[in-house]
Amino acid sequence: MGKRKAIEQIVKRQKRLRNTERVESKTEKSGDKEKWTNKQRVLIFASRGVSFLARHLASDLRTLMPHARADSKLDKAKGFFEINEICEMRNCNKCIFFEARKRDMYLWTSNTPHGPSAKFLIENIHTLAELKMTGNCLRGSRPILSFDPEFDNLPHYQILKELFTQMFGTPKLHPRSQPFIDHVFTFSIADDRIWFRNYQIIEEDGSLTEIGPRFVLNPIKIFRGSFGGPMLYENPKYVSPNQYRAQLKKNAGLRFKNKVESQMGHQVRKMKDTYNIDPLDEIFTTIKPEDAKGQEKLTYYRRKRSHPKDTGEKIAAAL
Amino acid sequence: MEENTLDVREENEEDSNSESYSSESDVETEVTNRQLQDAFADGLLQPGLNFIDKPVKECANDVGSMKDILQEFTQNIDWIERLDVTCGPVHPPGMTEEEKNEEFDVEDYFKRELRFYRQAQAAALEALPKLNKMDVQTRRPEDYFAEMAKSDVQMKKIREKLLKRQMSLDKSEKAKKLREMRKFGKKVQQEVLHARQKEKTEMTRRVKNISKGKMQETGEELKKQQEKGKRRNQDPKGKNPNNPLTKKVNKKREYKNSKFGFGGKTRRMKFNDKDSHGAEEDGFDARRNQQSFSKQRMKKGGFKKGKGGGFKKGQGTAAGGIKKPGMKKGRPGKNKRKTMKSRRK
Repeated sequence: MGKRKAIEQIVKRQKRLRNTERVESKTEKSGDKEKWTNKQRVLIFASRGVSFLARHLASDLRTLMPHARADSKLDKAKGFFEINEICEMRNCNKCIFFEARKRDMYLWTSNTPHGPSAKFLIENIHTLAELKMTGNCLRGSRPILSFDPEFDNLPHYQILKELFTQMFGTPKLHPRSQPFIDHVFTFSIADDRIWFRNYQIIEEDGSLTEIGPRFVLNPIKIFRGSFGGPMLYENPKYVSPNQYRAQLKKNAGLRFKNKVESQMGHQVRKMKDTYNIDPLDEIFTTIKPEDAKGQEKLTYYRRKRSHPKDTGEKIAAAL
Repeated sequence: MEENTLDVREENEEDSNSESYSSESDVETEVTNRQLQDAFADGLLQPGLNFIDKPVKECANDVGSMKDILQEFTQNIDWIERLDVTCGPVHPPGMTEEEKNEEFDVEDYFKRELRFYRQAQAAALEALPKLNKMDVQTRRPEDYFAEMAKSDVQMKKIREKLLKRQMSLDKSEKAKKLREMRKFGKKVQQEVLHARQKEKTEMTRRVKNISKGKMQETGEELKKQQEKGKRRNQDPKGKNPNNPLTKKVNKKREYKNSKFGFGGKTRRMKFNDKDSHGAEEDGFDARRNQQSFSKQRMKKGGFKKGKGGGFKKGQGTAAGGIKKPGMKKGRPGKNKRKTMKSRRK
C-alpha cells in the first residue's frame, strides 16, 4: 500500500513540475503570460429540412473545433442576410451554414462582416460515428492543415485556402483547446472538387489513421460579400444536381423517342407495290388442273346433278 | 462574315447528334449556303459533318478583384498560429518518375485514398520537426487524460468490430487448412492401403508359383511364409475367438466339464453300452424274464398295497413277468445278489 501511494505522489509531483515548466517557458518568451490573440469564432448551423447526415456532420465539426458555436435551425424564408446579423449577435467572425434543397446539400462558408463567401455542393458525407475509421484525437487539439499544391496555382483556390486556414485552424491558446498537436486536416483537389480528410498522428515517423469525418466539396460560386454581393468566381464545370437528373431522364426518354422516329420513318419508306404489274395481264392465264391450288381448284370442280344436296333442295322446292 | 453567330466545330462528339438533327431546319434559316462557302474558302470550316455548338456560358472569373480581396482579408500572423502546410504527397522509394506524375483516377478508391494519406503524411513530416524546434509539444504524455473527440463507448465498438473481423478471418483460414489437411490425409491413407494390397497379392502369387514349381524358392519367401504363420498365431491380446490356438483356457472350467459335462471329449463316455452296464453280473436275462407282470408279482409274495402301485425296476418290463424254462427258482434277492457279486470279485 505504501509503495503505491509513494508512486502516486511521485507522479503528481512530476505533473506539477511539468505544468510549472510550461508556464515558465511561456513567461520567458514574452515577459508576461501569453494571451490568446487570434480571435476566430465560427458559427456552425443548418437550415430547416436538412438530413440527418448534415446534422451529424455539423455536430462533429463542432466537436473537433473548440472555437465553434452552435445555433438553432434557420428558417430559409428569412433569407441570407439574416445570417450576417445572427453572426454579429453571437460575436462570430466566420460561418459555416448547411442548406438543404430537394435532395441535395449545400455548404456556405463565409467571413462574416465583409469578407468573401463561397457556396459548395457537399457530397459523400461520412461522419465520426462510422466504425471503419478507427483513429481518435483529443477534443479541441490544434490541427495541422495540409493543402494540395494546386491551391497555390489559381486565384479562386487561393481565396479558398485562406478561408479554410482561418476557419478550420484552432487559434493558439484558445481556452478550450488542448496544447498537443495530434491530428491533420487534409484538403486535396481531385476531379475539380475539394476532398476533406482528418487523420490522427500516431507516431512521429508519420504513421496515420483516419479519424473522420469525410466530405467532398464541389465549388459553385464565390461572392465578394458575405452571403451576397458581386460574384467573383463561378465554376464552369459545375453541373447542378437538378440539371444532372434532368439529363439522365432525357437520355432515358431519348431511347423511346428514337424508336418511335425509326418506326415512322419505316412506314414512310415502305412501298406498297414491289413491281409494276398490269392487272389486265392476268385475264388469259390458264392453270393446269394438276397445278391448281385452293380457290383455283373450284373452277375444275362441278357438282353432279344427283348430289344429295341438290335432291334435297328439289324435294323442298317441290313441297 | 458573320463569325459571331457561326459557331461550328468538327464532328467528333456524338452526344449532340439528336439535337442537331432536330434543329436542322433552324440552321438553314440562319446560315445560307453563300456564307458556308465563304467560310470554307477562308479555312474556317473543315470537310466533314459540322455541328452548331451551344453558346458557351460566360462564367465569372474576376482575377483582379480576387487578388485584391485576398490581400485584404489575409491575416499576417506567424506560422505557429496558422499551422498550414502546402505540399504534394510523399512518394515511396520505389516509385519511378513517370508514376509520380501520373494523373490519378478519382474512381479508383484505393489509389485515391492512398494519395490523400500520403499528402497528410508529407505535411506531418514537414510540420512536426518545425514544431519540435519551437518547443511545442506534439506528443501526448502517457498520464495526460483528457476528453477525446470520440467517446470511450465509440472506441470500444470500433475495437469489437475489428476483433470480430479478425476472428472471422482466422476461423475461415483454419477451416481452409483443415480441409486441405483432410484431403491430403485421405490421399496418403489411400496410398498406404493400395501398397499393402499390392504387397499381399504379390506374395500370394509368388508363393503359389513356388508351390507349383514355377519359381525358385529363395529364403525370402520362406521367411515371409513363416512370418505370416507367426503373425496368425500371434494374437497377444487373444481377441480372435475363432483362432483355437490363441484361446484363453480356464482350467477349472475344463476340469468340471470333463467330470460332469456330456459333450466334447466326454461325448459318448457317459452312456452305457453292453460292456459297461454289467448285465451278466446282475443276472438279468431278457428271455428268462418274459413272464407276465402279475405272475412275477405273485411269485414274489403277493400284492403289496403300500407301495403305491409303482412297480420296481426290472420287473416292469413285459418280459419281466414271464418265467423262463431254464430257471428253477425265482430270482434271488438283493442281498443275495450282492454277496454273489462281491464273492465273484
